[in-house]
Amino acid sequence: MADFIEYLESAFNGEKDDGTLYRFKRQTLEKMNERANEITHTGLRDDKVLYDLVVSEFSDLKKAYAEFCEKDRLRKRDSLVNKIMLIGTPAVALLSVTIFLAVGFLTDLWSPAWVFVPDMILLWTVFLLSEGIRRITRLRRLYHPIARVMLALAVMCVTVPIFLILLSVLEVPKAWTFVPFGVICIYVADAVYAFVTKQKLRIINYLIYLPAVAPMVYVILGGLEVVPWDPGWLIVIFAVIADLIIVLAKAISNSRYKYRPEVDAAWSES
Amino acid sequence: MERKLNAELWDKMHYLFRDYNDRMVHVRLDYDFVIDAEKLKTVLICFFEKAPVLHSSFKDNKVAPYWTVKPYRIDDVFTVSTPDDIDEAADEFLTGYIPPDSDIQMKAALFIKDGKSTLCIIENHMCMDGGDFKYFMNALCENYNNYVEKGISPIDVREGSRSYEQVYNDFSRTEQRMAKNLYKNINAKDDHCFPLTPDSIRDKSFIAKRKIGREKLSEIKTQGKRLGATVNDMLLTAYFYSLYEIANYKESESVCISCAIDLRRHLKDVSDEGLTNHTAWMQCRVPERGADIFQTLKYVIRSSNQFKNDKFMGLYGLPLLKLGYSIMPHAVSEEIIKIGYSNPLVAMSNIGILKADKLALSGHEPVDGFMTGAVKYKPFVLLSATTLNGETTLSMCVRGNDEDKKIVEHFFDLMEKNLDELAAQQA
Repeated sequence: MADFIEYLESAFNGEKDDGTLYRFKRQTLEKMNERANEITHTGLRDDKVLYDLVVSEFSDLKKAYAEFCEKDRLRKRDSLVNKIMLIGTPAVALLSVTIFLAVGFLTDLWSPAWVFVPDMILLWTVFLLSEGIRRITRLRRLYHPIARVMLALAVMCVTVPIFLILLSVLEVPKAWTFVPFGVICIYVADAVYAFVTKQKLRIINYLIYLPAVAPMVYVILGGLEVVPWDPGWLIVIFAVIADLIIVLAKAISNSRYKYRPEVDAAWSES
Repeated sequence: MERKLNAELWDKMHYLFRDYNDRMVHVRLDYDFVIDAEKLKTVLICFFEKAPVLHSSFKDNKVAPYWTVKPYRIDDVFTVSTPDDIDEAADEFLTGYIPPDSDIQMKAALFIKDGKSTLCIIENHMCMDGGDFKYFMNALCENYNNYVEKGISPIDVREGSRSYEQVYNDFSRTEQRMAKNLYKNINAKDDHCFPLTPDSIRDKSFIAKRKIGREKLSEIKTQGKRLGATVNDMLLTAYFYSLYEIANYKESESVCISCAIDLRRHLKDVSDEGLTNHTAWMQCRVPERGADIFQTLKYVIRSSNQFKNDKFMGLYGLPLLKLGYSIMPHAVSEEIIKIGYSNPLVAMSNIGILKADKLALSGHEPVDGFMTGAVKYKPFVLLSATTLNGETTLSMCVRGNDEDKKIVEHFFDLMEKNLDELAAQQA
């Protein structure tokens, strides 16, 4: 309909058309024509009403254009990241092996140099997983558990290379303590994700994670001889007590929102 | 691509009520001129386009039900005819039924005879309640007038969210948290029922009506003011008293009648909300019949005041229903809610005043009309009341037989008698 074209042109009169605006106008015009056809099919015969009705559904074009631009930006970014992932995966594999061989042949330090291969591949995996987490988080909450599993894997993929460096390259004594530390990181990352994405009933996650993390802390501190093993086990007890305190605090906080209705008696009667 | 709409909490609840009633809300308006059917069609199309739930089909998905927007033709929605007997045609139309999986959820009919028109509309309660249906009718008439008289396109109808959570919008954050913590099963456990005949395959839907004239209503209002009662209290009292009489309850028995309450009372502004349901039940209970009808009135006032003084009137039970529908698949949650929910056997819905000036078409106010709730299946009954032009129409939609019709008519006789008695003490 020519009127729709006029409407679209007048809405963006004077705005610079960089191609995105053209695509938006073209897409919107198609949608408007489609709606007009649908409505005409219902039996509407008044063209003025048809025009007003369709236009009322596309009243805030500036906002729609802003959303279109944002979607377009995300689409372009996703497209670029897809290409990077496609090319990057074999490239990283090749590069890590090349670096390993180069360092090995040049310095003859074959032993620590092998760390390059798993570390680079694992860090690349972290990039792939984080991209997956970002995309899944944009979806409905129903899919968020998948993102949380991926986050745990990503944290694992970060801690394992660090552990390998500590163990093989730096030869740090008691490097094994980094393994329980990695597990703690998984719990913390998940708790942060639950908080940031405002997951319902995340308090239950926190209550479970606290006593789960405590034995790890106990092992790390005991292993590093920061805390003696014997009274150190109290950390686990403290975690359980902390859980109870949180539950109590939450109950007290919620009691402020407990409404005592005047109709309690009436409900009881019913 | 198929367009889907979310099935809101009340949509699902009214779908659950399929075992208790036919979920149709009805309105009839009589005009003393001939309505321009073509113009009205145009207005209806615009309204259907603005409220897509009206041309959607309900999909009873076992996990999460939803609406699918469907194409339609206005001729399937709106029919115009010139019957010999308008009342008969209107009754036949009004007792019709729209299945929830139908492509349209509202039907309208225009009956024209001797220069007069009768506009009848039925709609699925899952789409909107009496409160919004009243708004819909007012908006329909206003848009029709602007279109016919000024040529303004009839697209001025509310659009927005249909979520039940809109009722919390005007509360403070603390109040919202309080209201959302009201986990309470608010069912009226009362076995007293209206004395209708047992169910039969031959039963048919009918709408029984009785008018309370302008003068009588005025007397009731005046008497109500004197006794500190609202018209609703007076009607409810007569309802209780008549019920004791027609059902032969013992005077010492405690009886409960559930009254529909409009939850929009908690909202200051509904202009950005979609057409939806915001109705809950208030249980009004009398501990005994009382020595006379004035004693009953005292019980009614006391019971209803308890609710009226409550800040969160009608919001009890919503969080529990929400929880029930959230944590389990729909098929399971329906079964569990059915266990905890008991539909009121005896209920009343005072839809309130239908403003004649708002319902005027081309300068002609409706000369008569009423709005009424769903056709209840026995043993459930719902007494609806609407006031137009100073007259109140009491109506009861029942799926029953001729014997039931007689019982309901007798009930209306008793209502009239008891309202007379209430109003008579004026001196």
